[in-house]
Amino acid sequence: MTDPTAQPKLRLHNVTKTFTAPRTGQQTLAVADINLDIQAGEFICIVGPSGCGKSTVLNMIAGLDRPSSGSIEKDGTPITGPGADRGVMFQDYALMPWQTAQDNVGFGLRHGTPGQPFTPAEREARINHFVDLVGLKGAEKKYPHQLSGGMRQRVALARLLANGPDILLMDEPLGALDAQTRLILQIELLRIWGETAARTQRKTAIFITHDIDEAVFLADRVVVMSSHPGRVRAVLDIDLPRPRSESIRTHPRFGQLAEEIWELIRDEAYRAISGSTDTAPTPPETATRTATTS
Amino acid sequence: MNNGIDTSPRWSRAARGAALPLVLLVTWQVWALSLPTGSPAPAPLRVLKAAVELITTGGLLDALAQSLGRVLIGFAAALVLGIVLGVLMGSSRAVRDNLDPIVESFRPIAPMAILPIAILWFGTGTPSALAIVTYAAFFPVLVNTVHGVTRVDRKLVLAAQTMGVSRLSILIRVVLPGALPSIVLGSRLAMGVAWTAIIAAELAVGAKSGGGGSGGIGQMMFVFYAYSIDLNAIVVCMIMVGVVALLIDRLFRWLEPRLIPWKQ
Repeated sequence: MTDPTAQPKLRLHNVTKTFTAPRTGQQTLAVADINLDIQAGEFICIVGPSGCGKSTVLNMIAGLDRPSSGSIEKDGTPITGPGADRGVMFQDYALMPWQTAQDNVGFGLRHGTPGQPFTPAEREARINHFVDLVGLKGAEKKYPHQLSGGMRQRVALARLLANGPDILLMDEPLGALDAQTRLILQIELLRIWGETAARTQRKTAIFITHDIDEAVFLADRVVVMSSHPGRVRAVLDIDLPRPRSESIRTHPRFGQLAEEIWELIRDEAYRAISGSTDTAPTPPETATRTATTS
Repeated sequence: MNNGIDTSPRWSRAARGAALPLVLLVTWQVWALSLPTGSPAPAPLRVLKAAVELITTGGLLDALAQSLGRVLIGFAAALVLGIVLGVLMGSSRAVRDNLDPIVESFRPIAPMAILPIAILWFGTGTPSALAIVTYAAFFPVLVNTVHGVTRVDRKLVLAAQTMGVSRLSILIRVVLPGALPSIVLGSRLAMGVAWTAIIAAELAVGAKSGGGGSGGIGQMMFVFYAYSIDLNAIVVCMIMVGVVALLIDRLFRWLEPRLIPWKQ
């Protein structure tokens, strides 16, 4: 794969995060001892049961949260705060309700650092380009509340891409979509990420999902997390060829990988459903790999 | 009952709404006809006659314009002060903790209660009236701005931070529009109390200056009360004050969806 001696794009070293409850002062260990090197151009998917701290890890990389201990470095420099070099697509999209779809796509370009290299005309052209790219034409003058969940997600995706970040951080970005749209956008996402381009041209992507098939379909590597506290349970190389198309889902290796991931999180998923930590029912062997973890 | 939704045409609803007032007006007029001629008691037709006189030659519209002008200036001042201070208080814990005790100790003091000081400091003219209006309108704007700012979705601020938007830009581009629905509501309330306050202030200032000085519709009412005991004219003024208040409210209702088109 990549040159192991090269400096990783992102390095998480012994990252631990404890949250302190505001009134009681009670401490909760959210994630513990995360060690992970991510190479430039890699597509990483993080899967794990709810409450495993996936979002916390993403927020720390985004600079919206600080690790309680350990360090996160980007290109060898510690991350100290949020920046447009690491774009975030939030779980609930975080679109400005007072702006039309188009203005939301252009928010960073018009008001933030991503617009600095461009003239106003270039910015508008870039906004239009990404509005087209995600299929928002015709809906660009609508406000978020007038758009369906799927369309809102497209707006958030276009905004993320229009800002041209180095690293794409996506928190269950396709979670609210119907199955068909989701499949289409997965392929779109890979195309936009640069699947057909040389590895050096690709962006670095970290994608949280609870859908195992989605993770296998998209990722170069899948990070499987366990909960209470969130830890890295395993990191799997997804050695499926690229560019990937729908037909890859019928590839025997695809099924094997999905099965492997499901094995890793099955116990916790069942425990989460039964709501108990010691009397988990024995999962039936017939449980299908298409089940999700949350 | 149609689940409380009235589906009848607009004119039919308007007619139903007008029926009772019409009956009352007619009753009032009939009763007034039974009074001896020369009685000062107000009656619909006399009020109407007084209204025509006041509008054509009595300077009623000038007085209204003067009052309205004061309200607008005072309201504008309150808007700027209230929004700037409200955004600062809403977005900074430190500013809020420092200013909250002062704001909360002044807020219960009715605008009329500061009138004596206003007259002593600013005299009986326009500055006094403006001070009262600004004071009255300031608190609704401030309180609602603070409320709106503190309730802006934090995710939106975080999202802006991840797009490299500066702190000042976030205040202007995220916090302010996020708080706008609340600010608009505060403005509507502020305009209402400002209009109430100006009438009262002009009445009181008029009393202090012996009918001269301040001008405006409130002072005009005072003159009719204290010097000519013209009840019909006073009723005309009351009606005009009410009509203006209604128009102001309607204006805000019309403006609201245009100022905040993303709210339904």
